[in-house]
Amino acid sequence: MELNVITALLIFIAVYALLIWDKHDRAVVSLLGAGIMVMLGILNQKAAVHGIDFNTLGLLVGMMAIVCVCQKTGMFQYLAIKSAKMAKGEPWRILLYLAIVTAVLSALLDNVTTVLLIAPITLLITDEIEVSPYPFLFTQILASNIGGAATLIGDPPNIMIGSAKGFSFMDFIINAAPLMPIVFVATLVIIYLIYGRKMRIDQKHVDRIMAFREKDAITDVKLLKKCLVVLGLVIVAFMVHGLLHLEAATIAMTGAAILILVTKDDFHEIMTKVEWTTIFFFAGLFILVHGLVEVGIIDAMAEKMLALTDGDVRATAIYTLWLSGIASALVDNIPFVATMIPLIENMEPALGGLEATMPVWWALAIGACLGGNGSIIGASANVIVAGFAARSGHPIGFIKFMKLAFPLMLMSILMAHIYIVLRYL
Amino acid sequence: MLAANIMTTKVLSLTPENTVGEAIEALAENKIRQIPVLDADKKLLGLITSRTLMQAILPAYITKGYLKDVRFAPELTQFVENLENLKDKPLIEFLGTRGKDDFFAKEYDTVGPETSTMEIAAIFVNIEKPVDRILVLDDENRVLGIISPVDVFRRLWKQSKTD
Repeated sequence: MELNVITALLIFIAVYALLIWDKHDRAVVSLLGAGIMVMLGILNQKAAVHGIDFNTLGLLVGMMAIVCVCQKTGMFQYLAIKSAKMAKGEPWRILLYLAIVTAVLSALLDNVTTVLLIAPITLLITDEIEVSPYPFLFTQILASNIGGAATLIGDPPNIMIGSAKGFSFMDFIINAAPLMPIVFVATLVIIYLIYGRKMRIDQKHVDRIMAFREKDAITDVKLLKKCLVVLGLVIVAFMVHGLLHLEAATIAMTGAAILILVTKDDFHEIMTKVEWTTIFFFAGLFILVHGLVEVGIIDAMAEKMLALTDGDVRATAIYTLWLSGIASALVDNIPFVATMIPLIENMEPALGGLEATMPVWWALAIGACLGGNGSIIGASANVIVAGFAARSGHPIGFIKFMKLAFPLMLMSILMAHIYIVLRYL
Repeated sequence: MLAANIMTTKVLSLTPENTVGEAIEALAENKIRQIPVLDADKKLLGLITSRTLMQAILPAYITKGYLKDVRFAPELTQFVENLENLKDKPLIEFLGTRGKDDFFAKEYDTVGPETSTMEIAAIFVNIEKPVDRILVLDDENRVLGIISPVDVFRRLWKQSKTD
């Protein structure tokens, strides 16, 4: 092996190790790795910048800004309380409705924001009805990843894959979304059997839930109307962006600009609430992976994988699905997908072109998103809820979570396996 | 002008063995907002304030700012229950459960008797750390007195009249 190949590989492995070790800020780790790659001449700055997928970054920043304005309206609290009241204070139905709200919001918005808004209300509700919040938070984590897996904008792996391959919002609706309600229902059936059927209802608690005034949650009706209109337009624009040949970032960024214009919000304040850690983490990763591409490591890995699957699309798709699922449970799914994208792109010609490789791409997207459910560190939403729960005095144990979540994740991957075979192979 | 000249030397205090319930009673009866807890050598162990007590009673997702706006919530029933659980707790235990990085644990500040009133006034207006009262301690951490923003004003007012 050439020296720069070994160096690139060592830097990449060191970054991965540091990310798993999780002692340092992940943005700092990935930017440092990227910086060292450029300094050692593995790729020059021009190539590094070329490697960054600005469509992914723009989509993330735009959606984060939109959500930041929308959350000020109190609409998320309204939805959570309204669903608890519609459940008539019955614990299992509250859990179910909150899970549905989480899944739908996660499909249309960023998962992390969704869970961070719904989880505190969940604790308030479970305090009022005096039940353990654990099954509620557990279900919400799973629901957010399942919901997010359904759309282009729902989960970072989908954003990255969609952006790299030019898949549109509707491509995801047609290919990834149909599986998700089935996975969602199956997951909830198991959660019902384990937790739900033991939940009891008590008139005192029903009264407490019914005493909530969800209308008071809406802080500003004018702002709410503006947000709903812009959010609606953005979602419609996503549905047709493929036809209009517009990239997703254009829609998200323009939507954010329009929303800030009509609400007269403070741009600077909104920008401080964007999760820059995530954005720079992505930028660093893109450079790192581009470094691997430049030195030819990805080519070599693609060849190995093709040799393993004999260039068979069916075998490649199934391998990719299970590998993505299990890998995403154990490590962050974002670096994993960032590495897999150029790898699969490399294999495309041997597998018979983009059209023939489609099942592999859907396997990667579905596997990586659903795989995130396998452990408490599998996806950003999981980590965020776990941190919040611990600080609120209801820690979610690593093993306790995994005991149920990992089998549920394997079940969902199995369902995805059947889905992909029936639909594409 | 120094801290020693403007401080109130009569400081009500509690012992570590006093309970949270007794602290609440002391605050209410004397119409004060904070009361220091001193050990047998009169050394400062911590400060009980109405805000730290309220924070201990409310659930963490509210006190830590995850749920800033609860206007839609009914009466918080947990409130009473938590107070019930807390009232017989000795103060030493109560202070012990509050982490070092706790925002309200740092709600008060301490100075030496030689500190200038200028410095004291600056502490009161520091927007990054809202402080209600400043305790004056000697080198051994013993409480000598307490200063409120009013004490600073009283001194300034007097001075402006004599000038």
